[in-house]
Amino acid sequence: MQKLLIYPVVLILANPMMLPGQEQPVKPVTAVNVHVLGPQKLGNLSPVVVPPGNPQSSSKILLGKQLYFDTRLSLDNTISCATCHDPAMGWSDAGPTSTGISGQKGGRRSPPVSNAAYSQLQFWDGRAATLEDQAKGPIANPIEMGSTHDVMIRTVEDIPGYVEEFKKVFGTSTITIDMVADAIAAFERTVVTTDSPFDRYVRGDEEALTRMEKKGLEIFNGKGHCTLCHWGPYFSDGRFHNLGVAPTDPASPDEGRFVVTNDPADKGAFKTPTIRDVALRAPYMHNGSEKDLDAGIDLYNKGGRVKDANLDPLILPLSLTKKEKEALVSFMKRAMTSTNPEVSGVKPPSVSDLPK
Amino acid sequence: MKKFILYSITVLVIAFILPVKTQAIPAFARKYGYNCNMCHTGFTKLNDFGQRFRDNGYQIPGQEGKEKNVFDLAPPLALRLSFGHTLYNNDEGTASSFNLYGLDLLAAGVLHKNISFLFIYTPRIDEPSSIFSGLDSINSNPSQFGRLESANLVFSNIIKDALNIRIGRFEPGYHIISSKRTYYLFQPYEVYLMTSPRNNYTFDDNQIGIEATGHFQGGFKYAAGFTNGTGASADNNNYKDLYLSMTQTLGKGDGQSAGQRIGLFGYYGWQPLTLPGTVIATNGQTNGSDNKTFYRLGVSASANWKTLNMQMIYYLGSDNKALNTLDATKNYKFNGGFVELSYAGFLNNRLIASAMYNWVRPPSYDSDSEVNAYSALCRYYLGDWSAINIAIHAEYTHRITGGATKNKENVFALALDFAF
Repeated sequence: MQKLLIYPVVLILANPMMLPGQEQPVKPVTAVNVHVLGPQKLGNLSPVVVPPGNPQSSSKILLGKQLYFDTRLSLDNTISCATCHDPAMGWSDAGPTSTGISGQKGGRRSPPVSNAAYSQLQFWDGRAATLEDQAKGPIANPIEMGSTHDVMIRTVEDIPGYVEEFKKVFGTSTITIDMVADAIAAFERTVVTTDSPFDRYVRGDEEALTRMEKKGLEIFNGKGHCTLCHWGPYFSDGRFHNLGVAPTDPASPDEGRFVVTNDPADKGAFKTPTIRDVALRAPYMHNGSEKDLDAGIDLYNKGGRVKDANLDPLILPLSLTKKEKEALVSFMKRAMTSTNPEVSGVKPPSVSDLPK
Repeated sequence: MKKFILYSITVLVIAFILPVKTQAIPAFARKYGYNCNMCHTGFTKLNDFGQRFRDNGYQIPGQEGKEKNVFDLAPPLALRLSFGHTLYNNDEGTASSFNLYGLDLLAAGVLHKNISFLFIYTPRIDEPSSIFSGLDSINSNPSQFGRLESANLVFSNIIKDALNIRIGRFEPGYHIISSKRTYYLFQPYEVYLMTSPRNNYTFDDNQIGIEATGHFQGGFKYAAGFTNGTGASADNNNYKDLYLSMTQTLGKGDGQSAGQRIGLFGYYGWQPLTLPGTVIATNGQTNGSDNKTFYRLGVSASANWKTLNMQMIYYLGSDNKALNTLDATKNYKFNGGFVELSYAGFLNNRLIASAMYNWVRPPSYDSDSEVNAYSALCRYYLGDWSAINIAIHAEYTHRITGGATKNKENVFALALDFAF
């Protein structure tokens, strides 16, 4: 454990606005699994840890950004990653669950891409270990982008502009699904929000939070029990909890993490999402069943919506008063909303900017 | 002379009714970076999560083996101190005094996955400003005797949540409502302190022994143990006292700060008539003989509505007639209990207000032991929960003792209570 603590963490915060040609290959580092250390204090985000197998470079990030916003990756050219993970909607979507190809509805809320680089596992059920693995999933999902990896690769290979860019980034014109995933993940690692009023407050700006927001933070880290799961700079323990969320279909409830682990203790458990920028992406919970922050807090205050034999032991009624709930909302609404221009200002490339 | 008597009474009252209260353990708050009311409705009273954390061997449920242990952290030490001014009044007159009510030194933490410890030492505290009429010895006038209040190891989750073992000196699990974690600094749970003529067992005391506890998804909890029944002392007979406590939670929550809880508990013990018996061992235990039995049997309840909590205990005590020096033809039987209503208010439970009624009903031939006590308190927590924990504490008790002749006392205290 001591070894883990002293491993150097190298900063690679590649800027997506970087000009082409400013190649900055980064020395690979060993990822530090902070969660093995148990609950962490709230604070500023550390630099993103980049996996040794997928170093960042500005051209790869640019390629990833183009792929992220390109609807041609879907079977009928209608759905891109950004359709469900829209920068204008907190890198999620309007919900409650996502709409995929041909208007098909998914069963779960779109998790935010912002700061996903800090998540130990991806998807609500953690079935992907890395951003790279995650990026491959929706392309071949019949109700999301509806394609297959082979079909999508053939589509990309038919676009000379992409072939040229892949050759520049990966040194070969033979495109693979791994390259596509690497590029998208490289872009997603730049979507990091580090400049919320909370971050400024932690850096020493006492005026960054209003009095009400400070009360909200106090409750967040105390009576509200929020930091039992939403801990550390990422505001998430990266673990899986059954919160007693009202199922979309009570006759066939979503079994969450259980589907991945087959461990009965994981039935109905879903990954803790980050609280960073939470106000930008209502509705809440894995199925979007809580319409706004007030409703989400009410779920916790009641100790869950439904009786569930597998309810997490951390979920207990909180006896929050109306004012305490208001303070919590106040904290999450403004104090946790970032103003990083390089992230909040990300616009989809226009069609004419996409490779042809 | 009158003044002298009043001061003496004040000292005795303080020494008697102001036992040191533990336990808020800021070392845990520091470990996790949490504010105190993650675990406490207001320190020192545990909320539901705090109780689960304690039951789980000071580990966050679900984090067992993934947390930092004591070797990865700064020494997990904490301290609690309370001092202030007490005004005491009875039929004779009034006395007032500044007092240092108690100091606790605490250490607790996780040694290894599912192995943790708790250590509480209370050093001796004198009363330098009062006049004392007792012996001129080193132990003549402490308001708090030095003692190792708790020193135990906890082995958690031996069979999931169903079996945890606590060994050492600990607060027994039949303390469904803990006298160590009450808001009241000055008014004890009277029935916990009730002793009968020839039995020095007190319900309130921490005991040395071994205890098994467990909790289940349906809200059922149990605690069962074997102890000496002699507080911090070595045993005075070869029998071990035993107890069983069971509670059931109704609705969401564990009954501490949400939901409702009912409970049953029983204690069965032996007290020797012949002390020390024929053997005195090197570490003080004896094989006291002519052991006679006694029992305590009670019910508890706790109900919550929003931030209002009502908790009560009622129990019966019965000692074998051989232990009854007042009437050797009958078992010594008494009953008693308390009802406590507490409110937590203001933003983030900064204000605690509480009222409590205590009663003890001894047999008619021991009416001097009868107690009725009416108490109220108000606590306000200052500062930032995450940094310091200072409570301004005001408490009042009107206490009536005795049967045919009633003695009335009033105690009003204003104190600062802090832990860090």
